[in-house]
Amino acid sequence: MAILGSFAFEEDFLDAARKLKSSGFDKLSLLSPLPLEEAQELMGLEKSPVRHFSLAGAIFGAIAGFAMAVATSLVFILPTGGRAIITIPPFLIITYEMTILFGVLFTLLGFHFVSGLPAWRDRPYLISAGIDRFVVIVEGAAADQVARAEAIIRDAGADEVRHVEEDQ
Amino acid sequence: MFDHGQPSYAEVNKDILSTMLETGPKYWMLLGMTMSVAGICFFMPWIYQLFVGVGAAGMNHNAVWGSYLSNFIFWIGLSHSGTLLSAVLHITNSPWRKSIYRSAEAMTLFSLMTAALFVMVHVGRVWFVHWSFPIPNEMGLWPNFRSPLMFDVMAITTYLTASSIFIYMGSVPDFAAVRDASTGLRRRLYTIFSFGWRGTAREWHTLGWAYTFFAVFVIPLAVSVHSIVSWDFALSAVPGFHHTIFAPYFVCGAIYSGTAGIVTVMYCLRKFLGFERYIGQVHLDSLGKLLITLSLIWSYINILELFTTWFGGTSYELEALSFRLTGFYAPLYWEMLIFCAFVPLLMLFKKIRLSWNKMLLISVLINIGMLTERFIIVATSQPRKFLPGAFGFYVPSWIEISISVGSFAIFVTLFLIFIKWVPAISIYEVKETLKPLRRNV
Repeated sequence: MAILGSFAFEEDFLDAARKLKSSGFDKLSLLSPLPLEEAQELMGLEKSPVRHFSLAGAIFGAIAGFAMAVATSLVFILPTGGRAIITIPPFLIITYEMTILFGVLFTLLGFHFVSGLPAWRDRPYLISAGIDRFVVIVEGAAADQVARAEAIIRDAGADEVRHVEEDQ
Repeated sequence: MFDHGQPSYAEVNKDILSTMLETGPKYWMLLGMTMSVAGICFFMPWIYQLFVGVGAAGMNHNAVWGSYLSNFIFWIGLSHSGTLLSAVLHITNSPWRKSIYRSAEAMTLFSLMTAALFVMVHVGRVWFVHWSFPIPNEMGLWPNFRSPLMFDVMAITTYLTASSIFIYMGSVPDFAAVRDASTGLRRRLYTIFSFGWRGTAREWHTLGWAYTFFAVFVIPLAVSVHSIVSWDFALSAVPGFHHTIFAPYFVCGAIYSGTAGIVTVMYCLRKFLGFERYIGQVHLDSLGKLLITLSLIWSYINILELFTTWFGGTSYELEALSFRLTGFYAPLYWEMLIFCAFVPLLMLFKKIRLSWNKMLLISVLINIGMLTERFIIVATSQPRKFLPGAFGFYVPSWIEISISVGSFAIFVTLFLIFIKWVPAISIYEVKETLKPLRRNV
């Protein structure tokens, strides 16, 4: 069972989330129509692991870029004006571009991995959370905890409370 | 920030989504017109050229590069302010970015696509264009990565990929808003586009980090792209091309024309999509100040280019310079200076900076000047190489002129399609600029 509480005001929403947290409801989702730093702090979100993906992508891209430039020049040897076949300065430009390309691609991968998206299955959601409402969702609440969670949400000033089966 | 009072969150959704979800006959007429112009002016002459060969263009033995490449540089340049400006303003946390960045990024994407088309037109046998990519081909050829043209291929494909991801990821929460506001097939499509976004704290947090990293990657990338485009010229030994100042000159020119392009696009969004409430004088004023700064840097680099060539005293460089300043194309050179160095100084007056019509005129003149600049670089350098025996003359043919005109229609067509598929203003970022709702206020 999931309990959804919808709030018109940011401060009420954060207040409800704080009280739910301190009452032992750990499986919370905080939905908002815009990013809220306080909500992220409340959920214990600090430095995102996405940054590791970015770094790994950049390193991989740098190595792959340089290796590709070297490999193609060795596979198809094209002597130019007596210059070396493996010519470092121009290959560094290819390395630079590939560093950025793979940095971006791995960051995208990191976003999907960390955020858990795409998630096209039905999950507890209120359309108003994308417009002008702040929504607290208590997930996995046992039958005896539902009333307590609902009371906390209502006391904090929710203008709507809903119960949703989680497998929906 | 808002010229006509602060809207509510729900009004922001309604105002921005209505431009996507409600389509009148004027839109279809305009789209039909731009598609027709693109077909007649761009694709038909191109097909003709594919049949008769690149001889249909005005390029010749002494001038193997012509208007196709000057258009290519122009469109790459125009692409520069979108993603680059958006990324820089994101990193520096500038609130005035939020209403304008989505369309500016779209401008980047569509300018790049148009620029890529010019490469295909220029190379002639477009069906061999895959030879420039490091993929196996039937000839057993591999790209020569010592060539600046190959740097270009890598830089532009990277920029196109990064810009596409940058604009797409920034739009994911807004795709969810479109999903929630629509029904039927559109709802199903936007459910896929939005990845099932709900706006949880974790999703916002991850998107924030990823978006910042995209911005961090995109800034040096954008600088590298136009530097590399400049090296197509500067790394050759051709008088008029071979200048060490070319990389900063091109990057500055690109940001300059791109920023002017943003002013033009913002004018159109306000006028035709009714975004007066979201794109206000604060944006115009900020863009105006940025344009003056860029204009002064651009003028300085131009003076520097003239001075170093004159001071160097090399006979063939002086000949190329003399041809540029006093030869057949001299009127275009002076037109460029007037439009890009002198007219923008009018923006020093706040009254002009805050007038949408005057700013539109100035932004269009700047881009005419910048297109001319790119044409002058190509058309006055190659035909004046070293010895009089190598001197030639280049005038674009009607095919080239038609294709140039058609490219603008392609750009506008892509933009018109874009505004019906992606919210032209970022919904959630506009909400961030609003004062938060407090119970006790």
